[in-house]
Amino acid sequence: MINTDRKHLVHVVKYRWVWMALSALLLFPGIFAMLYSSLHYSNHAPLKVGIDYTGGTILQYGLEQKIGNADLTKNRQALEKLGIENPYIQILNVNNTQQKNTKSQINSIISIRTKFIDKDSTLPKQITEVLSKEYQNPELISVSSVGPTLGKELFKNSLIAIALAVLGIIAYLSFRFKFDYALAAILGLIHDVIFVCGVFSILGLVYNIQIDGLFITALLTVIGFSVHDTIVVFDRIRENLRYYAKKMTFGEIVDASVNQTLARSINTSLTTLITLLALYFFGGVTTRDFVLAMILGIAIGTYSSIFFCSMLVDFWNDKKNQPAVS
Amino acid sequence: MKNKIIMFWVIVAIVIASVVVIFTKPTKLGLDLVGGSRLILEAETTESIAKITPEVMQRLQFAIESRVNKLGVAETVVQQVGDKRLLIEIPNVTDLKEAKAFIGETAQLEFKKEGKAADGSPIWVSTGLTGQDLSKSILSTDQSGQWVVSLEFNAAGSKKFADLTKALVGQQMAIFFDGELQSAPVIREAIYGGKAQISGGDSGFAYDEAERMVNLLNAGALPVPAKIVEENTVGPTLGADSIAKSRNAGIIGLSAVIIFMLIFYRVPGLIADIALIIYSLILFALFKTIPVTLTLAGIAGFILSIGMAVDANILIFERTKEELRAGRNLFTAINSGFDRAFTSIFDSNMTTIITCAILYMLGTSIVKGFALTLALGVMVSMFSAITVTKNFMHLIFGTGELKYPALFGLRKDEIGKGYEATETKREKARFGILD
Repeated sequence: MINTDRKHLVHVVKYRWVWMALSALLLFPGIFAMLYSSLHYSNHAPLKVGIDYTGGTILQYGLEQKIGNADLTKNRQALEKLGIENPYIQILNVNNTQQKNTKSQINSIISIRTKFIDKDSTLPKQITEVLSKEYQNPELISVSSVGPTLGKELFKNSLIAIALAVLGIIAYLSFRFKFDYALAAILGLIHDVIFVCGVFSILGLVYNIQIDGLFITALLTVIGFSVHDTIVVFDRIRENLRYYAKKMTFGEIVDASVNQTLARSINTSLTTLITLLALYFFGGVTTRDFVLAMILGIAIGTYSSIFFCSMLVDFWNDKKNQPAVS
Repeated sequence: MKNKIIMFWVIVAIVIASVVVIFTKPTKLGLDLVGGSRLILEAETTESIAKITPEVMQRLQFAIESRVNKLGVAETVVQQVGDKRLLIEIPNVTDLKEAKAFIGETAQLEFKKEGKAADGSPIWVSTGLTGQDLSKSILSTDQSGQWVVSLEFNAAGSKKFADLTKALVGQQMAIFFDGELQSAPVIREAIYGGKAQISGGDSGFAYDEAERMVNLLNAGALPVPAKIVEENTVGPTLGADSIAKSRNAGIIGLSAVIIFMLIFYRVPGLIADIALIIYSLILFALFKTIPVTLTLAGIAGFILSIGMAVDANILIFERTKEELRAGRNLFTAINSGFDRAFTSIFDSNMTTIITCAILYMLGTSIVKGFALTLALGVMVSMFSAITVTKNFMHLIFGTGELKYPALFGLRKDEIGKGYEATETKREKARFGILD
């Protein structure tokens, strides 16, 4: 059943070092950005964290007119006069041109992040006044506030959630496959998580993008998906081993299995990416970063399940059975 | 074959039931879609109540509930989360400022008398008469037309009040509301009958101010102060915008996947597309029956699960194509495609369900919505992508040979060549007989 006539499209085993180098190349900028951020930011976080984890308030105003980045500085100065230290302002342009049916009059959104605003504070009112001078009818469309203690608790819970998910997956895979495979799958998902976090760390440095509760959700989905992809390849290796263990070397079986599942891996990722891209371009602005994290994660997850995880399984097998067979 | 036909009608019945549910039941939309507010209140300890016990939380919840109900908004939620927090959801509220002030106020009414501090300076000291001794309060006006808050004490309160006023004739008695001095009239004579008035001091009350105080007093004081630790307010415009956009994104995503499957997998692709539509109908009907509150993150989970549902079919069809290339007959190829892909599908879906379960247990309410929709989606997809597609494949292709390989997106010369089929006896027994 293993294809011997057709040429293999990818060579996982032969170019092992190429894939290792490529993974390193993909991860390095992000790791660098995370290190830089932890030294640079006052809270020593590797990523720019949003109010969900630090506490604070975000006020979002919808405007009918379109505004550009020049407005950023103007608004920042006005807000600093109110006594808000280092106001963090973001301008989102809402693309309503393709979607006439939404009836929405909002063409751009200004979000302003401040320290946690107490219920007695008149700050929101003052900010609204400042913006009213600049623009016509700014509408306060959303307020989110997280108290500082709650933020810390949420952060702790998120880390616990990720750790538990990883443990759960290791346990399940060790039970269904072997511990080797579970470990390779986990390294693959760590690979993917580092990549996504790295990109967001860079985005935080360059575009001020902050991570929130939804980002953790995206990471967990990426974890699920990454393992999902890896399992399909491993399942095939397991099956081929049953039939061909005596006829072929382990390396050959890994290569053949990867090639047999290649079409499926790519097509599955494509269909998921299609839906995510639709969400990214046509969905709401509020979930855009969340969707971006998933797009990145699924793309890298496909790469890692094809090249990285199967390469690792073969690499270990080689190390265990010295001298190397392939 | 008889079983297959029965199964087909079962599927049809499920689809009809789902459509009926979709058209008759309302969709529960989350606050981020309809607009509204979500608050989290945290109970704080006081000198007298040093520990937040479940009993204190119950009283707090009761008091907050009665206040939220006074806002006159339908479908509000007051729910305890954790040991000392309350989650409050108020849909369709545009101006939350008032509501927030109303909910967060402790509403502690206290009567105090003159006293002396340790250093001899005059202070107000507690008399033991508080808002708990009231039976009700009414908004009214005094002789000069000023708004005042009239108080009526209950039996115990009336007696306390009478005793106090008798003892304090000629002195001032101060009325504090939430720690703020409202007025401090001089008592001319003992007051019997259990009635009193709070005037707004020299400047008097504004109507709104007096009305709010009356409402708070009638709703009852909070046993402990509670502060707002988290707030999420979404205006109705943003909500409407999000619904429209998510719907568009969903329709575009679904159509793109349908076209993709048709191009790549031809007739099986068409079957997978029908299964996908059935999947969406069943899932949507489930959301309405349980009911699952749809939020933005939930919709994202739903759209993501579309991608995952198709994955199972891609796995199966790729495998079927491979078996056809290996020279198996159509029926065996279809069956072994399903059979061999099953372990992959099962294992990968299990890991997704594990992650969803953990997210559901530990996550905040936004994350919970996402996890629930994704997990439900994965479970329904096991039915639609395996049972439904398998049934349709058998009904359409039967047992014959594949005359037109193009139906599977294969070339004629690809079939039965290039692979060496190694079929064991056991496999033949397993895949070769129509169940």
